[in-house]
Amino acid sequence: MEVFWAEAIKYLSAGICMGFGAIGAGIGEGYTAGQTALGISRQPEASGQLVKTMLIGQAITETSGIFALVIAVLMISTNVGTEGDAVLNMAAVMGAGIAVGVAGFGVAIGVGYCAGRTCGGVARRPTIGGQVTGTMLVGQAVTETPVIFALVVAFILLYSAFSGGLEKAFGLLSAGIAMGFGAFGSGIGGGLPAGAACSVVARREEVRGQVLAMMLIGQAVTQTSAIFALVIAFLLIFAHGDGASMVKIAAFLGAGLSMGMGAIGAGIGTGMPAASACTAIRINERTSSVVMRVMLIGQAVAQSPAIGSLIVALFLLFVV
Amino acid sequence: MEEIGHVAQIQLFGEPGSPFGTVNYVTVLMTWVVMAIIIVSAVLIARRLKEVPGRVQLVVELLARFFDGLVKDALARDDRAYLPLIGTLFIFLILSNWIGIIPGLEEPTKDINTPLSLGVMGFFIWHVSGVRAKGVIEYIKEFFQPIFFMMPLNVVGELAKVISISFRLFGNIMGGAIIIIVVSHLLMFLVVPILLNGFFGVFVGSVQAFVFTMLYLTYTSVAVRSD
Repeated sequence: MEVFWAEAIKYLSAGICMGFGAIGAGIGEGYTAGQTALGISRQPEASGQLVKTMLIGQAITETSGIFALVIAVLMISTNVGTEGDAVLNMAAVMGAGIAVGVAGFGVAIGVGYCAGRTCGGVARRPTIGGQVTGTMLVGQAVTETPVIFALVVAFILLYSAFSGGLEKAFGLLSAGIAMGFGAFGSGIGGGLPAGAACSVVARREEVRGQVLAMMLIGQAVTQTSAIFALVIAFLLIFAHGDGASMVKIAAFLGAGLSMGMGAIGAGIGTGMPAASACTAIRINERTSSVVMRVMLIGQAVAQSPAIGSLIVALFLLFVV
Repeated sequence: MEEIGHVAQIQLFGEPGSPFGTVNYVTVLMTWVVMAIIIVSAVLIARRLKEVPGRVQLVVELLARFFDGLVKDALARDDRAYLPLIGTLFIFLILSNWIGIIPGLEEPTKDINTPLSLGVMGFFIWHVSGVRAKGVIEYIKEFFQPIFFMMPLNVVGELAKVISISFRLFGNIMGGAIIIIVVSHLLMFLVVPILLNGFFGVFVGSVQAFVFTMLYLTYTSVAVRSD
């Protein structure tokens, strides 16, 4: 009976993973295509270059969808999560599905936004399309970071041999929830400065170096909440839980939810000042060091809710 | 594919049952390899400095000038006190991230201990330079900005900087390594995933080394500058 349930949960998790993972890729690629269509109406003679840029951007947007597909296919077609304790396997597989699915949802929106702004920028100045596309590739690679974190957590969940009781099972499930939702906000937030930076490079390629530095620092701070989620996910995965105490189970679930949900807002919110700071360089590049300081202070304050969630999660993990 | 879970566990807690305890000796060995590469090439290049630079010297000079400009811009000072630190950090990290594309070698940054120790080192550098630049009273005052009751959050925020800077590098490099292992398994080791090695090893490795260095520099500049 238990083996039957483990099998069933595997298929359910594969569906959750691919379902959520597909949403973001669809939205992101659609936005890119829309911006390209607008751009072609503005510069019909550059339509070949625009379509090429669109396809590159969409291919990278697709990456998080493909990550979700890989995890789903592994769940369906291999014997992952059928050896050992059935309850722990169910929780681990479910957690892995939620982590990659929800993380891919957010990240693909951010990456697609960046690709869309790039296509808009290339339409404005087709002559420097190569530089804009280069900026896009760097921005997108950094935006992908949260989904790579989610993938790490998912593979640990899928391929480690765990032992413990019901508490451990809920710890594994909560790790997936924390990582998935925690990466969602950072994915969207990381895409905002990347898109803004590509748009700035398209208008004023002479400030490219400054914009790139501002974008990278802005994105790095944006990802801090996803990194908190990664740390909490690791702590949840390797936490001890041999019993079946209801209090402990609730504490684990609470820690996962607190960190996951708390990181969504901070992730998106810290992306906004980063995007505006990139745009500020276009307006006046001489103020960039002041702008960066203001951005960092603003992001630090926007981050404090996520730090609050981190503290609550740590409290639930270690004190309760 | 059972080793995938194992990979992460080794990188976080060391190999179980190893005679070195929780010390991951592969990381130590690979760090030495990277250090040896840096020291040998530094000695070789510095010996043959010429007025008219050759190809290698040109690349090194470009790199040095690039970081000189970055450090001066960020700190708004004309001395080069922080240039050796920032430049060496970048060279060490980029070599550490690239070394994994050679079969048989592993990235030292794949182990959490390498980025975390660099982060802890940074913590002391930022705060000691902050105290030196601003004086103790002015430095402590900053923790009570914007309002006094923000103090606990500011303190946690400072600790979170160390966690975020080190886990960002670790997660990216280990994530890349795990993805490469999985794809190699799925392709039954018939095809070496060159494209993935290029993307995660060279491209993501360079970007993350630069991000780490830039954040190091930015946190130093936030600590040192008072405008």
